[in-house]
Amino acid sequence: MNESTATSGATPGARPVNPLLADEPGARRLLLGNEAIVRGALEAGVNLVVCYPGTPSSEVPDTFRRIGGGGRYRLEYSVNEKVAMEVGAGAALAGALTLVTMKHVGVNVAADPLLTMTYTGLPGGLVLLSADDPGCHASQNEQDNRTYARFAGMPCFEPATAQEAKDMTRDALLLARELEQPVLLRTTTRVNHLRGAVKFGSLGQPAPIVPFERNPHRFVPVPAVARVRHAELVKHLGMAREKAEHSPWNTVRGEGRFGVIASGISRAYLSDALHETGWDDRVKVLDLGMTWPLPEALLTDFLSQCDAVLVLEELEPLLENDVRALAQRNNLPVAVSGKGGALTIYGEYSTQTVTQALADLLGETARLPIACDPETALPVRPPNLCPGCSHRALYYAVRKVFGDDAVYSSDIGCYTLGLLPPLRMADFLFCMGSSVSSGSGFATASGKPTLAFIGDSTFFHSGITGLVNAVFNKHDLIVVVLDNGTTAMTGHQPNPGVVQEVLGNACVHLDIEAVVRGCGVADVVKVRPFNVKSTMKALAEMKERSGVRVIIAEEPCVLYARRTLKKPRNQVAYVAEQGPSVADCLEHLACPAFFRDDTGIHVDENLCGGCMVCLQVADTIKARKRSDA
Amino acid sequence: MSTPARIRIYLTGVGGQGTLTATTLLARTALDQGLEVTSGEIHGMAQRGGVVESTILLGGWMSPKIGHGEADLILGFEPLETLRGMTHLAAGGSVLSNTEPLPPVGVSTGREAYPEMERIRAKVEGCAAKSWFLPCRTLGLQAGSVQAGNSVLLGAACASGLLPFGPDALEAAIRTHLAPKLMDMNLRAVELGVRAVASAS
Repeated sequence: MNESTATSGATPGARPVNPLLADEPGARRLLLGNEAIVRGALEAGVNLVVCYPGTPSSEVPDTFRRIGGGGRYRLEYSVNEKVAMEVGAGAALAGALTLVTMKHVGVNVAADPLLTMTYTGLPGGLVLLSADDPGCHASQNEQDNRTYARFAGMPCFEPATAQEAKDMTRDALLLARELEQPVLLRTTTRVNHLRGAVKFGSLGQPAPIVPFERNPHRFVPVPAVARVRHAELVKHLGMAREKAEHSPWNTVRGEGRFGVIASGISRAYLSDALHETGWDDRVKVLDLGMTWPLPEALLTDFLSQCDAVLVLEELEPLLENDVRALAQRNNLPVAVSGKGGALTIYGEYSTQTVTQALADLLGETARLPIACDPETALPVRPPNLCPGCSHRALYYAVRKVFGDDAVYSSDIGCYTLGLLPPLRMADFLFCMGSSVSSGSGFATASGKPTLAFIGDSTFFHSGITGLVNAVFNKHDLIVVVLDNGTTAMTGHQPNPGVVQEVLGNACVHLDIEAVVRGCGVADVVKVRPFNVKSTMKALAEMKERSGVRVIIAEEPCVLYARRTLKKPRNQVAYVAEQGPSVADCLEHLACPAFFRDDTGIHVDENLCGGCMVCLQVADTIKARKRSDA
Repeated sequence: MSTPARIRIYLTGVGGQGTLTATTLLARTALDQGLEVTSGEIHGMAQRGGVVESTILLGGWMSPKIGHGEADLILGFEPLETLRGMTHLAAGGSVLSNTEPLPPVGVSTGREAYPEMERIRAKVEGCAAKSWFLPCRTLGLQAGSVQAGNSVLLGAACASGLLPFGPDALEAAIRTHLAPKLMDMNLRAVELGVRAVASAS
C-alpha cells in the first residue's frame, strides 16, 4: 500500500497542484504537524527555507522539497546547522522572509550566530524551527530549547495541534518581519509527528524582499555596537511582550480558585484529562501558545484570581520558576505547584500524569485506567542495520581485524546501530562529528588503538574540522568514513557527498578523498566493504601504521541504491548446505535476513539485500537469481 | 451498530511493514466521514526494523498519545507486537491482530524465543472483550502483495462494528487517496478482511 503523492484525491492521470500549494481558503486537510508548518510558512509568504535534517524536524524541508513550490521559495540543505543559521541570517539581512529548520541539538551547533543575530536583528524576518525530542525518541538528549528563547532573546511560539502548527508558523514569520527580530518556533516530537485536520487560510504571494540598508552601526557588532544593540534587544523584547499580552494564542477559560497554566503539548494532555475526569468546570485554565516573552500582566491577573495554580510544561521548570517569581514580586498569596511526583523534568507527560496532577491540585482521587499486566521476557526488537547494509560488512571486517583490542568512537547516523552485539562497534558517542575529535582525545589519553566511524553527511557536517585538528596536533587515529552516498538515517536528504546525477543542477558533488587529502592526511585508503577480504587486508595493513589514517568505505545505502539510484540487486543468497560456517555467519554477521527454523538456518529472499557478504563468510552459502527478478 | 463517540485506536507493527501508511489511510477515512481526528506516530528509527507505534483518536481528542489502559481498539500488524502492546488496551477494549510473525533478530539468531501463538491468543482473549486473528500476510499475498496485508487488517477493523464507519468508508478512502495502480489490490484486501470477520462471527 503506497500513497499517491497527490493527496488531494484529484482526477487520476492529471498532474494536480500539490494541496499544500493550493489557494483554497477554508479547505480542511489531514496534515502531519510538519506538513502544517510548511503550509503556515507558505501562507506567510516564506522566501527561503534553510535546514539541516534531523528527526523530528526532517519532514519540514523534505515536504518543501517534495512539493517543489513552483518558484515560490528557495530551499537549501546546508552542511550543518551553524551554516544553515548563518545562510538564513544573511538572507534575512538581505530582506528575505526566512525559515531555518533543525532538531533541538542542532541549535547548539547554531547557537553562536544565533546569540548575536538577536542583537543585530534581521529586517527580512527569520524564524528558527527547533524540533525538540522529550522522551529521546530519536536523539542523544532531551534538552529543552525553550531555554534558547530566554538565552538568545527570541519571542517563542509552541503549537500543540496540527492547526496550531500551521497558524503559529504563519504568525511567527509575520512577527519576525514586523519586529525585525528572530523568532523561535519550538515544537516537540509529538507535535511534529501528529496528524490532524487543518483548515487552510489564503495563500498570497511570496513576501516582498526588504531592501538592505547599509548600517555598520547596527550590523557589525564590534563591542561599541554590541553594547547598544543589547539594549535594543531588550527594547524589542518589551515590544514582543506587549504582543504576548494580547496574543490570541494566550487565552483564559473556565472559572474557580484553582488555576492551571499549560504550554506546548501539555495543553493537549490537560484538555483530554479535563474531559475524561469531568473536572472542566472546576478549574480556570491559562493556555500559553506564545510563551516568550511572558505575558506578565496576563499571568499576574490570572495568579491574583487563584488560590492555587498548577504549571504544566514538559522538561525544565522554566515557566514554573517564572510564575513563582511573578507571584513573589507581586506579593500574591497563591500556592504554585509544578515539577514533582509524576511531573518529572525528564521524559514526556501524558494524559494520565496530568490527571494525577489535577487530582492533587483539587484534592481528589484520580481514577486512572487499569491496564492488563505487561508480558515479561519478550524478545526485544531494537532498530537494526538493514539487510544488505554496507556498515554491517565494514563492521564485521573491523571486528575480525581489531577485535576488543581497539576502542570504537562512534558518531550520529545509521551506523550508530552497530553498537549492538555481535558487532559492538560503538564504545562512546557525544554528538555530530565527535567521533573524530573525541577519538583523538581518547587515543591520546589511553594509548589504545582507536577507530572513529563517521558517515558521509556527518563528515561534511562537522567531521572535517576534527580531522584538520587531528592532523595539526599529530593524533594517532584511524578514521573510517562510512560513505554510503546519502543522509540515510533521516531519509536520504542531499549532502555534498551525494552523486552528481542525483543532486541535479542545483548542487555540486564534493569528493571525500580529495577533501581528506586536502586536510593534510597522507595515509588514505579506499575500500569496498562488500569485498570482505580486501577490506580486511587494508585494515590489517593500516593497523601496523600510526598517525592520522583514513579509510573511506564506499558503498551506497542499500535502500538508496534500490529506490533512488534504481540499482536492484537481482541476486540473493541461500543456504545450500547447513553447517558450522552458516551458524558462525549468523552469529557474527547477524544479518536480519537470516532466520532459523526446525530445518536449520535460512535466508529470507524477501529481506535479502543481495550484498553477498555472507557468501564470503560461509562457504556453503551460495547465490542465486531472485525468484521474481 | 453502536459505537462510543470518542474512540482511541492503538496500532503497532514493525518498521518496513507500512503500518504508518495504513494509519494515515484510516485517519483519512475518518476525516472523510466528518469525524474529528488526531493521529500520532513514533518512528525515530522505523526504517531499521524497530517497533513502530501509531495512534488514531476519534471524536475530539487533542493529544495524539495513547497510554497504558487507554486503547479501545488495538490493531496489531505483527503478533509479537500485539502481545507487547496489550498494556495499552482499555478495560472492555478489543483487538484485531495479524497471526504471521516477523521474527526479531534475537529470535533469528536463536538467542531469544518467539512466544507461542497460543500464548498470544490466551493473553489477548484474557484481556480483550472481543478479538479477531487473521493471517494478514497470506491474505495480503492473495490480494496481490505482502503490503496489502495491512488493508486486510483495516478492512477487518471496519467490519468489526467497533468503528463509527464501515468498510464502505474505507473503500471510498482507498479510491480517493491511493495511487490508481494500488487501488484494486487494496480493495480486494479489504474484502478479504471483511470476509474473515464475517466468517469468525
